Amino acid sequence: MNGVLAIYVKEIITYFRSPIAYFVVAVFLLGTGYFFVYNIFLTGIGTMDQTFQNMGVLLLTVMPVLTMRLFSAEYSARTMELLTTLPLKAWQIVLGKYLGAVTMLLLMTVATGINLIPLYLYGNPETSTILSGYIGFVLLGMACLAVGQFFSALTQNQIVAALITVPVLLSFWFIGHLRSFQPTLFLQSLFTYLSFALHFGDFIRGLVRSEAVSFYLIVSAIALTLNTSYLQWRR
Amino acid sequence: MIALESVSKRYGSKTIIHEVSFQVGKGEIVGFLGPNGAGKTTTMRMIAGFTTATSGRVTVGGFDMATQNAEAARSIGYLPEHPPLYDVLDVSTFLRFVAKAKGVPRDEIAANIERVIAACRLEAVVRREIYKLSKGYRQRVGLAQALLGKPQVLLLDEPTAGLDPGQIQETREVIRAFGENHAVLLSTHILHEVTLICQRVAIIHDGRLLAIDSPAGLRQASEQTNSVSLEVSAPADALRDALLSIAGVNAVTVRPTAGRDLLQRVECQVDAQEGIEARIARAVAGPWQLHRLERHQPTLENIFLRYVGQGAQQKEAA
Repeated sequence: MNGVLAIYVKEIITYFRSPIAYFVVAVFLLGTGYFFVYNIFLTGIGTMDQTFQNMGVLLLTVMPVLTMRLFSAEYSARTMELLTTLPLKAWQIVLGKYLGAVTMLLLMTVATGINLIPLYLYGNPETSTILSGYIGFVLLGMACLAVGQFFSALTQNQIVAALITVPVLLSFWFIGHLRSFQPTLFLQSLFTYLSFALHFGDFIRGLVRSEAVSFYLIVSAIALTLNTSYLQWRR
Repeated sequence: MIALESVSKRYGSKTIIHEVSFQVGKGEIVGFLGPNGAGKTTTMRMIAGFTTATSGRVTVGGFDMATQNAEAARSIGYLPEHPPLYDVLDVSTFLRFVAKAKGVPRDEIAANIERVIAACRLEAVVRREIYKLSKGYRQRVGLAQALLGKPQVLLLDEPTAGLDPGQIQETREVIRAFGENHAVLLSTHILHEVTLICQRVAIIHDGRLLAIDSPAGLRQASEQTNSVSLEVSAPADALRDALLSIAGVNAVTVRPTAGRDLLQRVECQVDAQEGIEARIARAVAGPWQLHRLERHQPTLENIFLRYVGQGAQQKEAA
C-alpha cells in the first residue's frame, strides 16, 4: 500500500499546487449554487430533487477536466518514464491517482453542503432523501472519474482526453432515453441498466438500491482495470 | 548485475535494436557510446523496465525485466535522457515522493534525502519549485532521485548534458564514487568522458553492438592507426633499413624534402607497444640528426568513427 500512498500524496499536492483544481472546484460550486438558488427560491419547493439532477449533469462535464491531466500530463512531461521504472505496479499507480481524484470529488461534495444551510433554516427537507442523493452523487462522480482517468491514459494530449471523456459520459447519461425506442425487451433492459441517469434517479428519490450502487462500482472497477491493463500493455 | 542476452527491439516492422548482448558487473562503470539515434536510449529503457524487449532477455540483479520489473526496480537508479521531474513540486517534496515510491523505510527517508542533496549539491534549491530551476539543477535533481534508496545499479542517460564544466566535474566524481561498489551504465556521446571514468566502453550504432572493451583495449585493437612520424637528415636507403630492423616497426615510407639535402620525412607503421618511439629515437639519433619525432596514438574519436564507419559498411553489405 506504500506505493499507492506515495502516488496519492503526490497527486493531492499536485492538485493544490496547480490552478486547474481550484478552477474546477470554483466552477462546480458556482454552478451548483446557481441551480440551488434557481430551483429552491424560484419554484419554492423545499427539496433537492431538481438540484441533484442538475448537479449530476454538471458533474459529467466537470469531472473530465479534473481527470484529463492524470496520465496525459505524465506522458507529455515524460514523468511516466519515472513512474514506470519506480518499484510500483501498474495497479498501484492507477489506484493512487484514482483515490486522489476521489478525494477532490469528496471535498467538492462537502463544499456543496453550504446550500443545505438555508434549506434547513427556511424549509423542512427530508434528510434521508438528501443523504441518499449525496450517496448517489458521489458514486456517479466515482464512475465518471474512473472513466475519465482511463481515457487520460490513452493520449498525451489533455484536451483530447477531456474531449473524449465528456461525450462518453454524456452518452452513458442519456442512453436511458433511448430505451423506449428499442425493439426487444433485452435491448430495453440493457439500455436501462447502462443509464447513469436512471440509476442516479433512484438515489434522488431516496432509494439506495444495491443494484444501482453496484452498477456505479462495477463501471469504476471496469474502467480502472482497463486502465491498469493498458499501462501494462503499453510497456 | 546487468545482463543482456541477444536483446532485440522492434516497433512494428522496424528493428531498433539487433541482438545486443553484454554485461555490466559490480564495481564497474561501462560507457555506452554511440551517435544520436543509435539505440542507446532504447537499450537503457529496456534495462530500466520502461519498455520490454521484443526478443532476448534483460536481467538486472537476477530479475527478468519482462516479468519481474517491479522487484528489479528496487535495485535500479535511473536517470532518463530528459530528467523526469514534476514541475509544480519543490525539490524536497519531489525527492520525498520518489523515496516513498522506492519503498525507503519512513525513518530513513530524511537521511536518504539529505545524502543525495549533499552528493548532488542541491542545498541551495531544496525548497524551490522545480519549474524555477536552471537546466543544470534540473539535471542534478534527476541524478539525485536516481541515487535515492539503495540502488545496486545506476543507469544514466547522458548525465552531464546541460551542465557547466564545474558541475560536470562534480557529477563525474559522484558517478566515479558510486561506481566503486555498484554497477553503472552511462550513455554519452562525449568520448572524453568515457576515457575519464569508464572501465569499459560499449560502442553501439544503428542498434548493433559493434565493440565492447576497455578504452585501452580498443586503442590496442586498432593497431593500423598507430604510427610514428619523424624528420631526419640521413640517406634514404640506410634510414629505411635501420628503421625496419627495429622490432615492432612494420612499414616505412621515406619521402625526401624538396630543397634541403638529405632531410627526409618518414612515416612508420608500428605495433601498439609501449616505448616504441624511444627505440626509434635511439636508433636514428645515434648515426644521424633527428629533427622531429611524433607518436600518433589513435584517439577514442578515431576508433569510434572507425567502428561506426564499419558498422555502416556492414549494414550496407547486409
